[in-house]
Amino acid sequence: MMKNFKYILITLFLVSLSLGGCSGSKNVTKESDPFENLNRHVFGFNKYVDQKLVNPLSKAYVRNIPNGARKSISNHLDWMELPVTIANSTFQFDLENTILASAKFMLNGLTLGFYDLDNGETEILKKDFGSTLAKLNVPEGPFLVVPFLGPKMTRDFSGYFVDRQNMTNVSSTTVNDINLFEIPINVIDTRSKLSNAIDKLYNSPDPYTKMKSYYIQNRRKNVYNEKYHNIKNKNKDEEFEKLLQ
Amino acid sequence: MKNLRSFYNKFKIKDLLYFVLILPISITLISNGACADKLEKSNTIIQEMISKAKVNAIETLKSDQNEKSLRISLLIKEYINLNFMAKATTGSFWKKATFLQRQRYKNALLQEIVKTVEDHLNTLSTLNYISTDSELRGKKLIYVRGRIEDPNNNKPPVNLLWKLASNNEGNLQILDLEIEGISLVSSHKAETMTILRKNKGDFEVLLDKYNKKK
Repeated sequence: MMKNFKYILITLFLVSLSLGGCSGSKNVTKESDPFENLNRHVFGFNKYVDQKLVNPLSKAYVRNIPNGARKSISNHLDWMELPVTIANSTFQFDLENTILASAKFMLNGLTLGFYDLDNGETEILKKDFGSTLAKLNVPEGPFLVVPFLGPKMTRDFSGYFVDRQNMTNVSSTTVNDINLFEIPINVIDTRSKLSNAIDKLYNSPDPYTKMKSYYIQNRRKNVYNEKYHNIKNKNKDEEFEKLLQ
Repeated sequence: MKNLRSFYNKFKIKDLLYFVLILPISITLISNGACADKLEKSNTIIQEMISKAKVNAIETLKSDQNEKSLRISLLIKEYINLNFMAKATTGSFWKKATFLQRQRYKNALLQEIVKTVEDHLNTLSTLNYISTDSELRGKKLIYVRGRIEDPNNNKPPVNLLWKLASNNEGNLQILDLEIEGISLVSSHKAETMTILRKNKGDFEVLLDKYNKKK
């Protein structure tokens, strides 16, 4: 009960932080980074942990685990995240995505997600509570770099707690213990897939700014609807047309 | 009635009516045809560039690094509007830069693109590019959408959006590329502008950072 209350308090604090941040979806093309100095320090810390610990582990993972086994692990990790997608698709009244994600979860459940029985042919949009809050026009809030978790917008970081809490409530103690064990595997698996991109990022003149730009653009593309993309493209087009004159 | 007929004959209203009706229709048909032509040409340019990059990858397999880089540089200069990218990524600071600083920045940009292409060339040669659609945006811009697919289904498809426009010589060139919604110009601009703003627009500091990277 106390643990639940703690998560609710954290979520409310973070949502209020994001409401105090960006003024809303009208200005969603602008970025807010009032904690830049702190974020840069945390980025430096995360980079240190990545270079000293995560990167060597991910290289060992690629070297020692065959490609087929890595693919199975990756499939399983994706399958474990489907309940979050199902829950949030339901909250967002996205019936098609709810049905497809549920069907995929049940189908691949036959192999505990290790083998993708539909060969990746079904396109499912990954959704989380952050995207649900975005649908409710909660502003994304300031940009944060969280120790170990990396870049997050405030709204999405609060959503992260809700998703974790929902998963804890839905699954049994044994599953929660397995879930905890899978977190480092997930980190190593993701690191191995993004190895080249992350190494290139570290070599750029300002890795923090580049990482922020990549994260925000990718996140907005996944979370916002057609209207945002039209506004973004229109603004970009105007900027390009001016430069072409 | 007689007056109307004489009025009609006198002012050749019939000819005028033909002119008023047919001319706009002709203009619309011609401009639609020209637009369709331009869209077709944009698609062709992208396909051509990717084919040349793949051919380069195969032909330079046994060549040394310098020759590989040279061939990629020539390809990039032909298809990408580096001048535009340099202006777009430096904003208002571009006007304050000297001619030499601009040339050095364009070179640094070129080297960065060459390195990115080199890093992915071997992977690119195993993937298929499929053009999906193209769209005219405003007076000058053209959007070309495509997708990179792995024929072995080992990797998920990647959506691309190319932005093109004609340069001063009238040749269509690439202004920007969005990979899964991430604009290369926007990302590069964010980085460059942060460095320039923190150093009061000093281009030398920016160029030093690029040199240190090498």
